Amino acid sequence: MDLKNKFNAGEFVILAEIEPPKGVDISTMVTNATMVKGKADALLVPEMSNAVMRMSALGGAMILQGKVMETVMQVNCRDRNRLALQADLLAASACGITGIMAVTGEDPSFGDHQQAKAVYDIDLPELLDSIHKLQQGRDMAGIDLCGSPQFLVGSTVNPGLKGMALELELTEMKKKIDAGVEFLIMPPLFDLDSIEPFLKMVDHRKTHIIPTVLLLKSVGMARYIDRNMDHVHVSAQLIKRLQKAPDKVRECIKIASEMVSVLKREGFSGVLLSTIGWEDRLAEIIDGSKG
Amino acid sequence: MIVADKKPIEEIIGEIKDYTTILILGCNECVTVCEAGGKKEVGILASALRMYFLNQGKDVTIDERTLERQCDHEYLEEIRDVADQYDAIVSLACGVGVQFTAEKYHAVPVIPGVNTCFLGATETRGLWTERCQACGECILARTGGICPVSRCAKRILNGPCGGASNGKCEINKELDCAWQLIIDRLKALGRLDDYENISPIKDWSTDRAGGPRRVVREDVQL
Repeated sequence: MDLKNKFNAGEFVILAEIEPPKGVDISTMVTNATMVKGKADALLVPEMSNAVMRMSALGGAMILQGKVMETVMQVNCRDRNRLALQADLLAASACGITGIMAVTGEDPSFGDHQQAKAVYDIDLPELLDSIHKLQQGRDMAGIDLCGSPQFLVGSTVNPGLKGMALELELTEMKKKIDAGVEFLIMPPLFDLDSIEPFLKMVDHRKTHIIPTVLLLKSVGMARYIDRNMDHVHVSAQLIKRLQKAPDKVRECIKIASEMVSVLKREGFSGVLLSTIGWEDRLAEIIDGSKG
Repeated sequence: MIVADKKPIEEIIGEIKDYTTILILGCNECVTVCEAGGKKEVGILASALRMYFLNQGKDVTIDERTLERQCDHEYLEEIRDVADQYDAIVSLACGVGVQFTAEKYHAVPVIPGVNTCFLGATETRGLWTERCQACGECILARTGGICPVSRCAKRILNGPCGGASNGKCEINKELDCAWQLIIDRLKALGRLDDYENISPIKDWSTDRAGGPRRVVREDVQL
């Protein structure tokens, strides 16, 4: 069963984030991805996250789709104009990629090519509209396609916002759903209470809200996230638990596994597992969540 | 200067049709020079709008005012005592003036009456052409005083693309190839050797990478 059917059937889906390499050696990427085959439901391939130059999501997704399993390819507005975005979406579909996640993309100033000019020829709502048009058989210029792509389309939502910002986010979320978005990935979640206002307003059992379960790597990382990542809360209790753990790496994996279990129990449609470089630990997290 | 062009009156009417007291606010600077938003254009637009609303049988008050600049607090303060009396202000300044007016008078909708086009020069009366894209890192010293960023269709920085024909750009036969102009100029200056040098990859972080820009001059700050 593919990802779309799993969502429709109400199955809890596990997406595993696999970053393409910075270079052409794909062996580690493929090895890590192969380790989650049969455990995760699909691989999410980011498009140069944090504006750090590496192999494109299209390249990574094509390789992984062919060698390992179903992929969800990220597509962003930062690096490509409307010609290139549409061209890559056609290429992705023709190469068997059926899942895409549309995002705005971080500014180049976040990354390792800070002198780069961002494109933003079209914005996220326009990108979603263009994806819809492609699926209807026409490009953005209204010209008929010779065969149209069909995608399961995802995007992002930030439930950690509060007050007026959260209300605006809900409006944006509705716009995305109206534009054909079928699942929404949210930023790292460590504490369900931190998104309580959102959960009061949105039935996460009906809308496919996919929290990111980010693998912590150290006490320092946990503290850093809590202090510096907007709208992401790591509780003092969790930080203390990590501090006390004799084997911190094992504890980090355990925390991630537990979070997957909690989110499944709470009725979320799935999770995105993100490890930021520790992709060889993905399988352990999934195994731990099932134990 | 900042070059602007008049918006179609239908578009302006579409934005103001529900208001009954409107101020048309001109600017004495760039938009006056390019004949899009100075005192004369304020008068023409106000007359056209009065006529339109009269034909529609609507009683609408259209007032006229032109400030020295709309991009300076000092001049915008001149309408402090009257701004709130209007349902809307149609600003004929560039996008900077429209925004500065809107920032200063929060309660009044400020509607642009012109399209801000580019940084350019007056070639002849009625013809303005682009000369600068404000990229934040001027390379004119290397290119004979002719800017490939603003004048080359592809914004390429190391010689012509190969698509030009008889010195004209491939996208428009009336458009000079910027690189042909640069080469001719370097030749005239006896500096054609400069053309052989490959430019370092341009740093666009001074353009818009990193968001809206600021210039801070502590030496002139009060």
